[in-house]
Amino acid sequence: MRLEAQEISVRFGALAALASVSLDVQSGERRALIGPNGAGKTTLFNVIAGELRPAAGSVLLDGRDVTSLPTWRRARLSLGRTFQRSALFPRLSVGENLELAVRRGALVGRRRAVPERLEAAGLSAVAERPASSLGHGEQRALEIELALACEPRLLLLDEPMAGLSGAERQAALERLRNLPRSVTLVIVEHDIDAVFAIAERITVLDHGVKIADGTPAEVRADPRVQEVYLGRP
Amino acid sequence: MPAVLLAVLISLPFWTPSRYWVSVAIQALILAVFAMSLDLLLGFGGMPSFGHAAFYGMGAYACGKLFPQLTGAGLLAFLVAGMAAGVIAALPIGALAVRARGIYFLMLTLAFAQMVWGLAFQWTSFTGGTEGMSGIPQAVPDWLQEQGQNLWPALRTAGPFYVVALTVAVLAFAGLTAITRSPFGRALEGIRENEGRMRALGYPTYRYRLAAFVIAAAFAGLAGATTALYNGYANPSQLYWHTSGLVLIAVIVGGTRSLLGAVLGAFFVTIVQLVISSYTEHWQLLLGAVFIAVVLFLPGGFISLGRLGWLKR
Amino acid sequence: MDVLNLAHGSFYMLGAYAAFAVVSKTGNFWLALLLGPLSVGLIGGLMELLLFRRLYQRGHLAQVLLSFGFTLVFVDLVRSGFGPRTYGIAPPPGLGGAFHVAGASFTKYDVFILGVSVLVALVLLVAWRLLKVGAVLRAGVSDKEMVGLLGIDLGLVFTLTFAFGAALAGLGGVVAAPFVAIYPAMDDNVLILALVVVVLGGLGSIEGALAGSLLIGLAFSFGTFYLQEFSIAIVFALMAAVLVLRPRGLFGIRQ
Repeated sequence: MRLEAQEISVRFGALAALASVSLDVQSGERRALIGPNGAGKTTLFNVIAGELRPAAGSVLLDGRDVTSLPTWRRARLSLGRTFQRSALFPRLSVGENLELAVRRGALVGRRRAVPERLEAAGLSAVAERPASSLGHGEQRALEIELALACEPRLLLLDEPMAGLSGAERQAALERLRNLPRSVTLVIVEHDIDAVFAIAERITVLDHGVKIADGTPAEVRADPRVQEVYLGRP
Repeated sequence: MPAVLLAVLISLPFWTPSRYWVSVAIQALILAVFAMSLDLLLGFGGMPSFGHAAFYGMGAYACGKLFPQLTGAGLLAFLVAGMAAGVIAALPIGALAVRARGIYFLMLTLAFAQMVWGLAFQWTSFTGGTEGMSGIPQAVPDWLQEQGQNLWPALRTAGPFYVVALTVAVLAFAGLTAITRSPFGRALEGIRENEGRMRALGYPTYRYRLAAFVIAAAFAGLAGATTALYNGYANPSQLYWHTSGLVLIAVIVGGTRSLLGAVLGAFFVTIVQLVISSYTEHWQLLLGAVFIAVVLFLPGGFISLGRLGWLKR
Repeated sequence: MDVLNLAHGSFYMLGAYAAFAVVSKTGNFWLALLLGPLSVGLIGGLMELLLFRRLYQRGHLAQVLLSFGFTLVFVDLVRSGFGPRTYGIAPPPGLGGAFHVAGASFTKYDVFILGVSVLVALVLLVAWRLLKVGAVLRAGVSDKEMVGLLGIDLGLVFTLTFAFGAALAGLGGVVAAPFVAIYPAMDDNVLILALVVVVLGGLGSIEGALAGSLLIGLAFSFGTFYLQEFSIAIVFALMAAVLVLRPRGLFGIRQ
C-alpha cells in the first residue's frame, strides 16, 4: 500500500511538533524514519495512524484521503502499527492478545489463525500466560506480532528493537526482513545498523522538519544529517 | 461452584424455615442481577459507573407508570418494559458518558443519575414525587401462583415470586456469561486493558463501550422491574446515589471481572443489610468496615480467595 | 491532590455534631468553632496517614470505594453516639436576631456566615498563591520523585493537606450547625453539592470552586423559585453539561 503524507503540520501549544512534513512511501517499500529524540517521528506516526489530527496537511493511503477517518477505520484499510512502549493487553493471555488482533475489529471468525501466529512469534510455549508476565523480549515479539496478525499492507514500526538483546535483535530483524513485499514498511529505529539492514530509503527529521530524504548512501553523505548526528554535542 | 449455588437456591423453598428467608433470597437475587449488570460495565468494560441506579430505577418506574396497561399482558411484558426503559435511558446518557474516562466517567454517570433522581423526586405530577408509585402487581402467572401455593403453602405469595426471581437471575447469569465469553466480551476486555491498541487493531471502541453501557443498563432495568413487581412500588430511593454505591459495594466485595463474584457480593450485602440489621442497628458500620477492609486488603474481592494462586493478576 | 473522598460530607457532618456536643456541654459556640475543625482535621489526617496513603497507586475508584465505606461507618457511629434524632443549636449570643436593609431582612448569623466564608476563601487563595501549595500538590501528583528531590516531604504535605481539607469541611459543619438540622444523614446533600461545585469550577482549582459554588447557589435558588419541579435536575444537568463540554470546569486550569 502506498502512503502519502502531504505537508503535515502539528502544533502542541507554542511548539511546532511537525512543520509541513511530507512523506511518500511506495507500495512494498522499506522506509526508515530517523532523527534525534523529539524530532517528531512518533508524532508523524500518530498522524498517519489517525490518533492525532494534524493542524494542516493530509494523509493518503493508496491515493485515498483518510485524513478525517478515525484510527479504527484506517486500521481496517490494512494499516497496522506497533508502539514504542509495548501496548499489550496485560491481564489477558498471550493467546487472547493475538485472538483480538486476528479478528481485526470484527466479531466473527478468524480465531483459527491464533496458533500459527503464536508459532511465528515463537510464543507458543507461553500462550496461556498473561501478557504482563512475559519478559521484555517476549513482550516486544508479541508487540510486533499483534500488528502482523492483522495482515497489514502498511506497517508502521515504532522502535521495534528498543531494549532487545543481541540475539533477540537478530530474530526480530529476520522476522521483518522476511515479510512479503505486499507489506509496505515504515520503521522508526535508533539502531542504525538495523536501519541500514532493512531500509531502502531513509527520511530524516529534526525538530519537526524534514532535513533529508534519499537512499542510505545519499543520507549518509548529506552534510545536514552529519551535522545533526555528529556536529552537535 | 455455580452448580452448588444453583442447587442450594433451587431447593431453598423446600427446606427454608420461613417466609422471611425466602424474601431475603428474593432481594439478594434481584441485587445479584443488578450487580452482574454493573460488573459487565466495571469489571469487563473497565467503566466505573457511579450512576447505575438510574437504570435500575428507570426499570422500576417503567413498571409503575405502565402497570395499568401491562397488567393484562403479564409478567414478561413488565420485565421487557423494565429492560426497554433501561435501554432508552442509557442511549443518550451513554452516548455522552462513554466518551469520558476514569474519574470523569464516574462523575458524569453520577451527574446523570442524580438528574434522573431529581426528576423522580420533584416532578410529582409525572413520577409521584417522594411517594413514588405504588400498587404495582406481582404479575406472577396464574399457573405458577397455584403450583407455588400447593407446593409451599406456608410461603404464601413469596414462594411463587421466588421462582420468578430465581428464573430472572439464572437467565441473566446465563445471558451475561454468554456475552462476556463472546468475542464482544473479549473485545470489551481488550478495550479495558488498552483502548489505544484496540483502535489500532481496527475496533471502533466508542461503539463497543456504548454497547456495553446499554446492555448493562438493560439488565439493570430488568433488576429494577423485578424489584418493583416484588415490592409493589417504585420510589426515588431506587434511583439515589446510595443505591449506585450499594451495588458498587456488592460488585467490589464479591470480586470484579467475575459474574459469580457479583452474585456472592450481592448475597453478602443483602444478608448484612437485612439479616444483621434485625440483630443490630449498626449494619452500616459493619458493611462499611468490611468494605474498607476488602478495598484495602483484598482488591480482588471474595472470589479471589477461591482462585488464589490460579492466576497472579 | 487528586483524591476523590466521598467521606468529605461526613467531615462536615462530624463538624456539625462536634458543634452540637460542645455547645450543649459548655454553651460556648466559639469553643466549638475552635475544637470542631481541630478534631475533624485530626481524624482526616489519621485517615490519610493510615489508609488513603496506601491507595494513591490504585486510582480514583479505590478511593471512592474506601471513602464510601467510611461514609457508612461515620453515619452509623454518629447514630450510635447521638441517636437518630434531629438536633439544632441556637446561634451564639450576639448573633441572634435579624435586621433590615432596604426592605429585605437578614439574620445577623447570615452575615457571620458570609464573613467566615469570605475569610476562608481569602486564606485559601493566599495560601494557594503565596505558599505555592497548589503547585507542590500538582507536581506531587504528576511526579512524586521530582518533588521529593526538591527536598519537600511529600507524604507530610499530603497528610497536612488532607487534614486541612477535613478541618475546613468540619468548620463548614460547625458554622452551618446553628441554621441547619443536625441529623445522621446530613452529609448526603452537602457531599453531592460539593462534588457538583468542584466539577463546575474545575478539579484542582480553588478559584473555580468559589465561582462554582456561587453559580450553583444562584442556579438552585432561581430554579427553586421559577421551576420548582426541576431545580435538582437542572443543577445536575449543569454538572453533566460541564463535564461533557468542558471537563476542566468552567474556570479550570489551562493546560
